[in-house]
Amino acid sequence: MNLVKTYGTIIKKYADTNPKTARKLIQTGLHLELFRTRHLATKGMPAAYQKLNTLAVKSTLFALEHPEQTAWTNIFTPVEILQCFGLNSLSIECLSSFMSGFTCEDYFIDHAEQEGIAPTLCSYHKDFIGAADSGVIPKPVFSTTTSMICDGNINTFRHLEKQHGIDTFYLDIPNEYSKDAVNYVTAQLKEMISTLEHITGKVFDMDELSLVLQRENESKQYYKKFLEEKKKRYYPTTLTLQLYMLFATHLQIGSKETLDFFRSLYEDILTYPEFQGKRIVWVHLLPFYQETLKHYFNLSDHYQIQACDLNLDYMEELDVTHPLEALATKMLCNLYNGPYAKKADFVASLAKDMNADGVIHFCHWGCKQSSGGIFQLKQAMKTENIPLLILDGDGMDRRNSHDGQIKTRLEAFLELLNNLDSTI
Amino acid sequence: MLGYVCKYTPIELLESMGVEMKRLEPSVTDFTQADTLMHANICSYTKAVLEDVMEHDYEGVILTTCCDSIRRLYDTLKNEFPDKFFFLIDIPRKVNDFAVTLYERQMKDLLHAYNEFSGRTFDEKKFLAMMQGKHALVQKENHSHVPNAAQSGSASLNLGIMGARCNHEIRNLLEEHGVNLLFDLTCTGISRDFALNEDFVLSSYAQSLLNQIPCLRMLKATDRTTLLDGFSDRLDGIIYHTVKFCDSYSYEYADLKKYQDLPVLLVETDSTRQCVGQIRTRVEAFLEERKATKGLTSKEIIDIKRKGQPMYTLGIDSGSTSTNAVILDENRTIKAFSVLRTGAKSSQSANAVLEDVLKKANLKKDDITRIVSTGYGRVSIPFADTTVTEISCHGKGAHFLFPTVHTILDIGGQDSKGIRLNDNGEVVDFVMNDKCAAGTGRFLEMMARTLEISIDELGPISLKSTENIEISSMCSVFAESEVISLIAQNKEIADIAHGIHTAIAKKAISLLKRVGLTGDFMMTGGVAKNPGVVAILEKELNSKLFIYEEPEIVGALGAALYGLEELEEAVK
Repeated sequence: MNLVKTYGTIIKKYADTNPKTARKLIQTGLHLELFRTRHLATKGMPAAYQKLNTLAVKSTLFALEHPEQTAWTNIFTPVEILQCFGLNSLSIECLSSFMSGFTCEDYFIDHAEQEGIAPTLCSYHKDFIGAADSGVIPKPVFSTTTSMICDGNINTFRHLEKQHGIDTFYLDIPNEYSKDAVNYVTAQLKEMISTLEHITGKVFDMDELSLVLQRENESKQYYKKFLEEKKKRYYPTTLTLQLYMLFATHLQIGSKETLDFFRSLYEDILTYPEFQGKRIVWVHLLPFYQETLKHYFNLSDHYQIQACDLNLDYMEELDVTHPLEALATKMLCNLYNGPYAKKADFVASLAKDMNADGVIHFCHWGCKQSSGGIFQLKQAMKTENIPLLILDGDGMDRRNSHDGQIKTRLEAFLELLNNLDSTI
Repeated sequence: MLGYVCKYTPIELLESMGVEMKRLEPSVTDFTQADTLMHANICSYTKAVLEDVMEHDYEGVILTTCCDSIRRLYDTLKNEFPDKFFFLIDIPRKVNDFAVTLYERQMKDLLHAYNEFSGRTFDEKKFLAMMQGKHALVQKENHSHVPNAAQSGSASLNLGIMGARCNHEIRNLLEEHGVNLLFDLTCTGISRDFALNEDFVLSSYAQSLLNQIPCLRMLKATDRTTLLDGFSDRLDGIIYHTVKFCDSYSYEYADLKKYQDLPVLLVETDSTRQCVGQIRTRVEAFLEERKATKGLTSKEIIDIKRKGQPMYTLGIDSGSTSTNAVILDENRTIKAFSVLRTGAKSSQSANAVLEDVLKKANLKKDDITRIVSTGYGRVSIPFADTTVTEISCHGKGAHFLFPTVHTILDIGGQDSKGIRLNDNGEVVDFVMNDKCAAGTGRFLEMMARTLEISIDELGPISLKSTENIEISSMCSVFAESEVISLIAQNKEIADIAHGIHTAIAKKAISLLKRVGLTGDFMMTGGVAKNPGVVAILEKELNSKLFIYEEPEIVGALGAALYGLEELEEAVK
């Protein structure tokens, strides 16, 4: 019997009767994982990624153990401001992925659906609602979300605000950049800051925010240099690590630890040899638990995931002299805000830039903004003559992904890539 | 003609330019064309609009950034039909001065873009005059409006509609049943009456549009529930409408269920013509339930055929898998019953079951005083005197057989239901499964076929299981592939069957949780004959399941009881 699954079954059992015990079990599990990532290196995993592993687990564990210093967010929230108030960000997407890591996602998703939440809603949202409403995750001091990209955010956070009486701030982000839009968002950021000053009793320091943005700029510079090297080098990765990158590129961006990680990432890749296999650009979420995908991609020297678009949604330099306007611009000009054509063009140029042999788009259950555009992505890839595979499934709910279907499609796609090579 | 989809659309701007504006409420046969341009899991309304645009010659469509599906619809339309006019208006979710400025800018961009497309020009004075004229007319109408006596009388039900966009068919259904509709808080239920400021025409128009009763995408949507308080003295219930793959409104539904002491019926449609028939049962059952609570049992005069003869009533339940009939005498004793497989035509099966049950009871059709039909095919039974939904009938039949039962699980061939009864046996709440085979008898039939055993063998075999196998897929099609893989792994049929039963039991428990787990429990429908499913359910519920010796006839029995009660009422 699978150990993790057995542990998950016990968590689910307690979630029903004694949610605090279930939380303790989750914390114990994360402590063990933290110990493992710090002291027991996974064979074949690059040293910098070991750091990333630690960063992700530590941040999630902290949120569960210190709700008084935690804010619930989504991955597009301006966490830079929260950092200035000493708040750690727990995003609904990342927490849900951890619940799925414990194989508990079915319990929490069912919990939300039984409340009346739509079964067709994104599983990350349902899972988080279930985990919060069942009392397994402790109530944070603050929560905030943006309206951009995912239309579930406002409603999910409003639901949580009402259920748990959490101080919540909503950022309405217009669909496209304009000067008026920057003013509209900046005014909201100021309002959010005064709300946070009131809640935490701390005075906001704009210079500190500039420093955070400075570190963010430096981090992105290292990341760009890393990607430049990755065009040719072999740097083993896994589906989970690509997701954990969201901690570095989003939730913890601007922190000293994150800057340190990006520096190591760049320095580490320089020690790796040239890559000889097939290169893939991944679009959207990665179902980290999926057996076939794990088999083909995790630490593989045949097939390498070059990059995932989620980690590259805003790579421009932030204007540290106008930090609030810079954050407003960052959100308004996010890759996913606005028309889909912007994303399709970006994926095409990313694939070419990263010397990718093919692109895989994963349609996650319930995510309309991404799956709604796949036909345009297909067109864009066809124009550029880049092979594209579209997979359907669920980023974290095992019940919505079918291994047989994924296996056949993926293997056929990889065969196609290998055949293309031999005909050239 | 330009189409539009959202109540925040500034349609009057374009109307003042002489453009005919049409609110798109498509009802399509299928999504054959739309599925070639958009992913299958996009909101069905969105896909219906896409079908509609592909079939009709609209000049274009004005969309708003109301949700992710509509945003992608805009991208798709723009890409596919470059010669038409499509415009996406970005509606701010907050309402403040910045937001009004942004929205006014959007309106100007729209006017500019349409001018470039059509050559038509916008005249602010003409627009203002049109709006003032409209406003004066509405004021006059409101002033002279006398409530319709028949509608506002206490005899009819007072309902409200909430949720996502709801097309006229649901409203027609309610009208057909004499319902007095107090409000319509769906996406498109709005009276377009705006009083504009002559000095700030566009910005006051923008402000008025933004200040409508908010939809769920707006940040002030919490105000919606307080609006209900104003109706608390009159409101008998709410029809809550959602669209398949539109998730925004389920939050409000969850909220209403939890906080408001109001009967709420959730109906989901998918913009296809077929769904009207499917929701009819739910809406009618809800109306029956509300009327019963309000003490409004039908008082129609019954044509009593008996003259000193014994009185018999016949209930007939036309289901997707079986057609069942029960004959009751006036002492509420079952004279005879019959269960037959439903053929391709429900009316033929009804005739066959009628013949069979009459033969068993040794009666002629003329001996029957009243015939009540129920079930999915109830409206297609020509010889029935009246129809009652299977939800009310199951409640009635169950309470008659086991008066302590408060929760009924009915798993039939095509759907599954959870029904909650009060101490008097009246239905107080019910839920039905979604439009898929997961968790129904059909699911078991498919699985039995895959295992190459008969459906009757499935239950007994599973009781011999020694290993716990988990079937994780909820979808019947995926589950079938999973079962095939298990067969390939040489797993025992008994263990696979047990896994299948566990999957269906889990789905059923989740359905029951939505009505509340109040004992005692009863199970009806064909699946109640499967000892494997029953054993797992009893274990999970930690309670015995009451099962009648013929679990398939409970609905028909309820229908016969309804008939008898109507006769008793009439002869009083």
